[in-house]
Amino acid sequence: MKTKRRIVIMLTIIMVLSMFQTSTFGSQTQEPDAMRIGVTVEIDSLSPLISYSQIGYEVFMLLYDSLITVDENLEPVANLAKNWTLNDDQTEWTFELRDDVQWHDGEPFTSADVVFTYNMLLDSDLGMYSGYLGGIVEVTAPDDHTVIVRTEKPKANMLQNSCPILPEHIWKDVNPDDYMTWPNDEPIGTGGFKFSELRPGEYLKLVANDDYFLGRPGIDELIFVLYANTDTMAQSIKLGEIDAATNFSPSQLDSLQAETDIEAISAVVLGFTELSFNAWDDPSSNANPLLKDIVIRQAIEWSIDKQSILDIVYSGQGSVGTSLIPPEGFYHYEPSADELRDFNIEKANQILEDAGYIDLDGDGIRQDSDGTPLEFTFTLRADNTDEVKAGQMIAGSVAEAGIKLNIETVDDGLLIDKIYSGDFDMFIWGWGTDLDPTTILNVMTTSQIGNMSDSNYSNERYDQLFIEQQTIMDPAERQQVVWEMQQILYEEAPYIILFYDNSLQAVNTAKWSGWKRIPDEGGYFFNLTNYNYLNVQPVSDAAPVESGSNTVLYVVAAVVAVAVVFMFNKKKKAK
Amino acid sequence: MKKQYVLKKVLQSLVTIFFVIVFNYFLFRIMPGNPLSMIMRNPRASAEAIERTKELFGLGQPWYMQFFIYLGNLFEGDLGLSFIHKRPVIEVVWSRIMPTIIMVGLAQILSIVVGILMGVISAWKRGTKVDVIALSFSLITYSVPTFWLGIILIAIFSIGLRLFPTSGMLTPGRTFYNTLSMIRDYASHLFLPVLTLSLVLIGEYALTMRNTLLDVLTEDYMTTAKAKGFDDNYIIKKHAIPNAMLPMITLIAINMGLIIGGTIQVETIFSWPGLGRLMYEALNGRDYPLLQGIFLLITISVILANLIADITYSYLDPRVKS
Repeated sequence: MKTKRRIVIMLTIIMVLSMFQTSTFGSQTQEPDAMRIGVTVEIDSLSPLISYSQIGYEVFMLLYDSLITVDENLEPVANLAKNWTLNDDQTEWTFELRDDVQWHDGEPFTSADVVFTYNMLLDSDLGMYSGYLGGIVEVTAPDDHTVIVRTEKPKANMLQNSCPILPEHIWKDVNPDDYMTWPNDEPIGTGGFKFSELRPGEYLKLVANDDYFLGRPGIDELIFVLYANTDTMAQSIKLGEIDAATNFSPSQLDSLQAETDIEAISAVVLGFTELSFNAWDDPSSNANPLLKDIVIRQAIEWSIDKQSILDIVYSGQGSVGTSLIPPEGFYHYEPSADELRDFNIEKANQILEDAGYIDLDGDGIRQDSDGTPLEFTFTLRADNTDEVKAGQMIAGSVAEAGIKLNIETVDDGLLIDKIYSGDFDMFIWGWGTDLDPTTILNVMTTSQIGNMSDSNYSNERYDQLFIEQQTIMDPAERQQVVWEMQQILYEEAPYIILFYDNSLQAVNTAKWSGWKRIPDEGGYFFNLTNYNYLNVQPVSDAAPVESGSNTVLYVVAAVVAVAVVFMFNKKKKAK
Repeated sequence: MKKQYVLKKVLQSLVTIFFVIVFNYFLFRIMPGNPLSMIMRNPRASAEAIERTKELFGLGQPWYMQFFIYLGNLFEGDLGLSFIHKRPVIEVVWSRIMPTIIMVGLAQILSIVVGILMGVISAWKRGTKVDVIALSFSLITYSVPTFWLGIILIAIFSIGLRLFPTSGMLTPGRTFYNTLSMIRDYASHLFLPVLTLSLVLIGEYALTMRNTLLDVLTEDYMTTAKAKGFDDNYIIKKHAIPNAMLPMITLIAINMGLIIGGTIQVETIFSWPGLGRLMYEALNGRDYPLLQGIFLLITISVILANLIADITYSYLDPRVKS
């Protein structure tokens, strides 16, 4: 009787364990070619009117199309618009649309969709795309495949407008009052991929659009898998559970680079990490008024050893920052040797001394003529340990120039409120930027105080140039103006640009071929193009995923079984 | 008599829940920060759009009106609109509740059974090798950091043995042709999180069980039972365990509630789409309605678990009633 029970238990255990086995590493030969990409941030909404996230931008680029897009050289190319012309006074754009495009539900795409989308975004002012349409006064459609866009003044960034075109036949039924909450649960687009399913907290699945007007993608199924921690994600890509991923830490990158099937890169991305000062010249500002003095802001920059922080905190992933627009962009301004403020404590001490900030009481902290010490609150984001470490190093070296920084760490939400209410001295945060400089330049304009501005900076000349640069159609000429703007910012230092960030990505090159970095030093994805999603092909003769060894399984099963039997024996003996 | 006791306990629980609702509501309101900035995230928003949003999320009313509206809606089962997800809170919470219940539930059952068993064996064999092994096992698993344990289990079972996937709840994007293959996939994903959580809990249960049982075993009535000539098995089952179960019931009841929100670590290691992570996201995004909804759920489950514990007591130990 007892022996029988033991055998039954043993068999059950073996059965249960073997049940798991086939499911995880089973052969995928009959399965479609699914590419799984590990990400660490979940899409905040499937509606382009609600989402403000980078992953949202990436996904909408796959589900939808814009009139013009950018190619792998980041140059504007035709997309939904076949070609375009500009009238003589440069305020009227005529886009000729493709006539072979269908929505994912089979409805034909027409100029009415474009007119509807642009008007919806201009009227509601919602989402991350409405800003691209700034300056447009009228959108009309003379026929089904022509769209005319009129602008107030020449619009320099018209061709960098990545605004997705949404289907009128779906969105016209939505009450404009509900735009802010309408979830767009089953997006219908024209893009290379169709929406399949979204499982909150787990993954987002897209499938190839067989009728895509630029040709069907080589990826049958594209799945963005959400990871709550990158250590597990790094293991997952090594094991082949996912085919690509982004947002690794430097040490994970090192271990991934050792794998033969995986290409792990540190990619330049458009973005930076900055130290922002509260430069607000307003009675309601709660900032330390000393920060309005450019000399103090400059002295702090002179005392920061950006390269060391980058090497120590970020393992050298990234590059030392100077001006507002990252060096990959055409509009980046590089300060001359005279202008450049690289790490130099003596220089910091000297300019403070010259400006009359002297340490009279000998406590190591300089004071102004009224005896107020140069002591500031330095707010850091508790969630970002790298920024906290960087902030600590900065406080350490700035102290050598006689300036005391008191570090406080807060959560993001609280910092946002401090920024909006002008109740801060300085903090570290970052920005991602576009190909076109308008959005990031706008952050520093006077009109954005209380909105996008997080330094409350104001400069009349800068504001003038900002309006001007939006209307200059010749890139070389526009570059000059944008350079002058960055020069002003660099000189007055409302921001200290600490680093231009890198994104650490990895892809499996044994299962997928055709990966291309965009630009040459850039990433495989989150690079503002959908090139890799549309062009990467499965390696047809890919070796099947290594299957879990049966021997190991049965050894485990046997050990467990023996242990159980042993336990039962013991119990019997105890009696 | 018994009916009256149960009724009294139920009433007490309801009163507690009400006070927690009131307390939670104001707790979140005194947190620093302006929720509007988190909802809108649109620096270009017009004054009109801001007005519209205030109205939509009920932020336009004075605070006491907001509170009464909240209470009124609550009784209709409406927990409000999540700031981040822009969807009803109940919908957002509902999609995350099952994964947590299944994972935590299984881990609880497993650890209760194994923990009690280990505790009993340990206490009965006090001082022997078996006791030493069980005791060290309990102490180690009770004290290791959950995060570390999870990573180690991934290293052994996913990387070393390649038996189980590292994370997630189902193989992402996979189409299942029948229920059995889906259950299999689910189970293989469930294994490591449940194992991790169980290991952490087993130690606690085993130690508590062992200690209380040791106390019971030295009681006079144990000697009496032995003197009556009952065999060991019978004494343990009928005399020792029921008496030792009382502190265990309390511990289990406390864990039942706390564990719903307290599995953030396990959910994070294995990317399990549960309530713990949702709560963390809500806190970070200052999504008051969502936080309140999750807190309410946790409150109710703690109180419910304690209510059940109270009632169970009265069956296990008739003295409790008086």
